[in-house]
Amino acid sequence: MGTMTNLEPSSTPPDADAGARFRRTLVRVMAVQVVSLCLLWLLQWYYSV
Amino acid sequence: MNPLNWVIVVAYLSYIVYYGLKKSRGTKAIEGYFLANRNIPWWAVGLSVMATQLSAITMIGTTGQGATDGMKFIQFYFGLPLAMVILGVTLVPFMHRAKVFTAYEYLERRFDPKTRSLTAFLFLLSRGMSCGTILAAPAVVFSAIFGLPMGWAVALIGVPTVIYTMIGGVQAVTWVDVKQMVLIIGALIAVVITLLVKIPVSPDAALHIAGAAGRLKVFDFSFSLTNTYTFWSGVIGGTFLMLSYFGTDQSQVQRYLAARSVDEARSSLLISAYWKIPLQALVLMVGVLVFVFYQFERPPMLFNPVHERAVKSAEPARYSALEQRFNSEIASRDTAARQVAASSRANEAASVAAFRSHSARADSVRAEALALAHDVTGQPSRDVNYIMPRFALDFLPFGLSALFIAAVIAAAMNAIAAELSSLSTATVIDFYRRWVKPDGSDAHFLKVSRGATGVWGIFACIVAARSANLGSLIEQVNKYGSFFYGSILGVFLLAMIPRARALGAFVGLFCGMGAVAAVAFGMPTVSFLWHNVIGAVTVVVVGMFLSALAPAEAA
Repeated sequence: MGTMTNLEPSSTPPDADAGARFRRTLVRVMAVQVVSLCLLWLLQWYYSV
Repeated sequence: MNPLNWVIVVAYLSYIVYYGLKKSRGTKAIEGYFLANRNIPWWAVGLSVMATQLSAITMIGTTGQGATDGMKFIQFYFGLPLAMVILGVTLVPFMHRAKVFTAYEYLERRFDPKTRSLTAFLFLLSRGMSCGTILAAPAVVFSAIFGLPMGWAVALIGVPTVIYTMIGGVQAVTWVDVKQMVLIIGALIAVVITLLVKIPVSPDAALHIAGAAGRLKVFDFSFSLTNTYTFWSGVIGGTFLMLSYFGTDQSQVQRYLAARSVDEARSSLLISAYWKIPLQALVLMVGVLVFVFYQFERPPMLFNPVHERAVKSAEPARYSALEQRFNSEIASRDTAARQVAASSRANEAASVAAFRSHSARADSVRAEALALAHDVTGQPSRDVNYIMPRFALDFLPFGLSALFIAAVIAAAMNAIAAELSSLSTATVIDFYRRWVKPDGSDAHFLKVSRGATGVWGIFACIVAARSANLGSLIEQVNKYGSFFYGSILGVFLLAMIPRARALGAFVGLFCGMGAVAAVAFGMPTVSFLWHNVIGAVTVVVVGMFLSALAPAEAA
């Protein structure tokens, strides 16, 4: 059976920007999550008696 | 329901079937049928992924849970964004570049045919039954609420879904998902606006009441392996659950395999990463606002109308006595809720205490009524799934109630279509083409694929229609289905470790399922969100240990 590297066709052109683009998106996703969790925390903190 | 509302629902369903068939062009070969020629734009794939997870159970069960338990269920999704990001850099590029049809096909290339067949078989076993459950859950509620025979309720949801999925394949399913997501989100927002208008206090006071009743408690930071919904079980257990679901379940993998490129596949998953928690918050908030609404409007003592009628008829005196006590407590609770709404934060303690006391007494009477319903009917009487549909029919204005019912049906259709399509793909690609007829023509496989989709559709309808008789069987299969998820994830994790060997993966899979079975049967007791962590870790540890012992040529 083949190994992992055999599964990546060499014909696929490497996208030089893809890694950087994905890292930027990752930062955005995590930032949105932090904001969402902070909003939920505020909702709980402000209204829970 | 008003007959005109039915006209709206039926017109919508007809339109969806027409739209699905219209979008089925390009499905002349199995690449088109199963993967839409790998040409779906990322945003459509992303919406389809979200639509697939948003089943009717979410629309009626999660909103009901918001009404009874509040927002804490949202912790279940805390691991999802991280899981999406991990998948974006790990499994998604591997599977997309491998140009496979199914996740399990990839395992044969990496390990061996028996690992592929076993994982595909476990998928068919668990998903085949769960497809029936996904269809049965809303059908049971519709049957009770509208007085439809169960078979008709199943057909209302199942038949249109099977038609467009069978003919149009993934192309039709994905584009219908996009349309239906717009309807579902639109319906949820419209319901929130209607609730805010109908609740006789300001939104701030409404949230104050919800907070006083504990419905806005989101975070539980306790670390307990037996408590299902905590921050830690959500972040750690939830991450593994979402990795398993989105990374190894064909119903999800098939979505991003249909994307145009690896980058588009990643971007499609990130839509869920961005929007899943806000969307679930919206769904739960609908339930919380329904709870607040019923502080000022008399709620039914029993939300399931079938149980209500059965108890009234079998035990009229006991029902009447309970109803009298319930009405009295509800009236007192109404007054107390208005006092909470009017009180300032400085002097709210007394009004909040009175409100909680009346709420507890009203809940206690309702618990007695539920116990009576259980005694009379001999069925489980928990009626959380009936809260939202009863509210929609009793209080939403004309048109909006039809919109909500259509949205529930749409959610059910999305989830079932994805299941049918993935079941058909695994059946044809992982078994029929692999073991029975490897040299068939594309036209032949397309015909078989449509047949397989139809057969799985009929199977799901039969399981759903007979769910009352098959109840315990379905429950058992779903329970055992959860044994497989984490273990299958473990096999995919092994696949990404170059030194892992086929023997380690195959034996590790059994050991992982064994470990999950042990904790599921209480040796020791661990809440289900941790099962995937245990399964995946066991497979990787055992798999790597055996791989280290196995000679290299055995891989």
